[in-house]
Amino acid sequence: MTSRFSYGRIAHAMLWCGLAVASLAVSIPKIYSGATAYPLRPTGPLHTCDSYLKFATGASGVSKDLISIFQSITASKRVIIFTRKDDAFSSGLGMTSAYLASPHLVRLFEINGTHPDNELSKMNPDEVAAVVFCRINRPAWLPAGKVFGSGLEVVSMPETVRR
Amino acid sequence: MSALALLGAFATLLFAGYGLLALLVRQETRFSLTEQIAFSWLLGTGAVSLFLWIFGLFFHGVLLRGSVSIVCLSLGFVGWRRMVPLPPRRTPKSFEIFLGIIILIEITIVFYLSFVHTLGWDGLLNWEIKARYAFANGGVLPATYFSDSGRAFSHPEYPLAIPFTELWLYLWLGEADQFWAKPIFPIFYVVGTFLLVALGKRLAGRTWLGLLLAAFLFFVPQITVEVGSAIAGYADFPLSIFYLAAIGCLFCAAEQHNTVFFRLYAACLALLPWVKRDGVILWTVAAACGVFVILRTKRSPLFFLGFLPGLLIICGWHFYLSTMHALQPADFLPINLESLGSHLYRIQPLFSAFLAEFYNLPTWSLFWFVVAVGVVYLLRRMPDPGALVLFTALIVPIFLYLLIYVFSSWPSYLDHVGLSISRLLMHVAPVGFLITILAVCRGSAKNPTRVHEGGMGTCGSAGSERTPMVELA
Repeated sequence: MTSRFSYGRIAHAMLWCGLAVASLAVSIPKIYSGATAYPLRPTGPLHTCDSYLKFATGASGVSKDLISIFQSITASKRVIIFTRKDDAFSSGLGMTSAYLASPHLVRLFEINGTHPDNELSKMNPDEVAAVVFCRINRPAWLPAGKVFGSGLEVVSMPETVRR
Repeated sequence: MSALALLGAFATLLFAGYGLLALLVRQETRFSLTEQIAFSWLLGTGAVSLFLWIFGLFFHGVLLRGSVSIVCLSLGFVGWRRMVPLPPRRTPKSFEIFLGIIILIEITIVFYLSFVHTLGWDGLLNWEIKARYAFANGGVLPATYFSDSGRAFSHPEYPLAIPFTELWLYLWLGEADQFWAKPIFPIFYVVGTFLLVALGKRLAGRTWLGLLLAAFLFFVPQITVEVGSAIAGYADFPLSIFYLAAIGCLFCAAEQHNTVFFRLYAACLALLPWVKRDGVILWTVAAACGVFVILRTKRSPLFFLGFLPGLLIICGWHFYLSTMHALQPADFLPINLESLGSHLYRIQPLFSAFLAEFYNLPTWSLFWFVVAVGVVYLLRRMPDPGALVLFTALIVPIFLYLLIYVFSSWPSYLDHVGLSISRLLMHVAPVGFLITILAVCRGSAKNPTRVHEGGMGTCGSAGSERTPMVELA
């Protein structure tokens, strides 16, 4: 009897029971709020991209439209993407656009401010299939492109753009 | 149609894994059904992703999918011919049934959470991106992807176990579908709970203890609901499960000179660097533990061959990257004495950041405090090689991760730490559960039930399980 119910064993059991109860008390509110924070979302092959793009631009179902734009332009040319430094939304839009731009090679430019004139003027337009502006202003000399919600614009370049 | 395709993809994965398990076990040890499922999944995902990569060097399209399917089915046939023996059935106690129901509810919630959440940022842009691009290119990653500077953010140098498991689903589905890639991750959670239950029984000799600890896995917020958790499509949780399997098997091999567990350890060890780049660090630690066990238990030098598959994977992947002219990762400075000397001042702030993470209650609850209590118990068993393996497997990776940040090339290295530390600590968290199991069952040497309770499931009995019935089978 002494060995089965020694003080050591009782202390051991109480220690672990106490730790278990305390762990549950700390965890349950966090797990509950994490588990109930989101409703069921629509499913779909691009549902993660759509969610990100909706979050950043406010527009729904953007991924499919972006893919069809990228598919309609010359595959051998690059897609140029402009994002803003120190702007997480802009950076996220840029990377999601790069993800969807496959099989084009892409080039990401992170610029200070919102005017990419300098960088654009240095490029050879013959090598560019499209320019994507992520929370960046399109230069006035560039033809208007397709705008998605707020902050995302894609200018495809079927012919040489001249300044 | 999608459900049928998914069923086909998962079935072939499990066939391949079961065949490999049967080859490794050679009918020498009994494994419970949950263990068989867990190891089949781990070996299956590792093998199928490796087959897709290797066969992809020669074929693509239908031929690639067909050849990998044939290999999977052949392995399944091998498994059917050399079935892994099951332990005799026993009636579960009511407390075990209760805990089993709790775990079932938790698993259902984890599946639900994975479906309501999108893939996480890295889940999409580091991992799923590779599956999508490979799918669009007939099952092979385009060579241009590796050298495309515009996609350097997606880390083309990361290994392919997770993306190519997603690719396997896509090849069966016939389309790249971000939604249907997600079930892979809660399945890793299921495998984690199965392994904890099984290892709990083998380590402590008590099924209820394994079930109880497995139920507590759900209550670590970093594992269930936090950024980079088991539902987010990141490679960190799968990596932690592979590490749990490797260390758990090594513990069993160390305790009872059991070669079956050593073979399983070697297989899981080899897959660590294939799951994530950080897996190389875990591989190094787990391999060092393996060397210690081989030397301490005076085994044949042939056991050192167990490290060969992992070395082959590490070298093979680096060779492949160099032939593809893959971009070099830019997150870290070159690791040399000069960089170390000039950034040594970072150690103290890094140490503080790590320490702060341990008592980050919203992320970890009391998990690390519980593990710390477990470590104190473990220290009392220290001459035991198994205990030393667990201690090393928990502590050393944490120190190595801390050291790695000394070489961070981010403008603010503390931001780098803040973004990834919780996920890195998750790699060793399941090993913390093993330590807790040992601590709760307290001093197994004094506890004769460990070996005998529950019939034949324990490490203790595993070594002497070559019964006439098994031999005949």
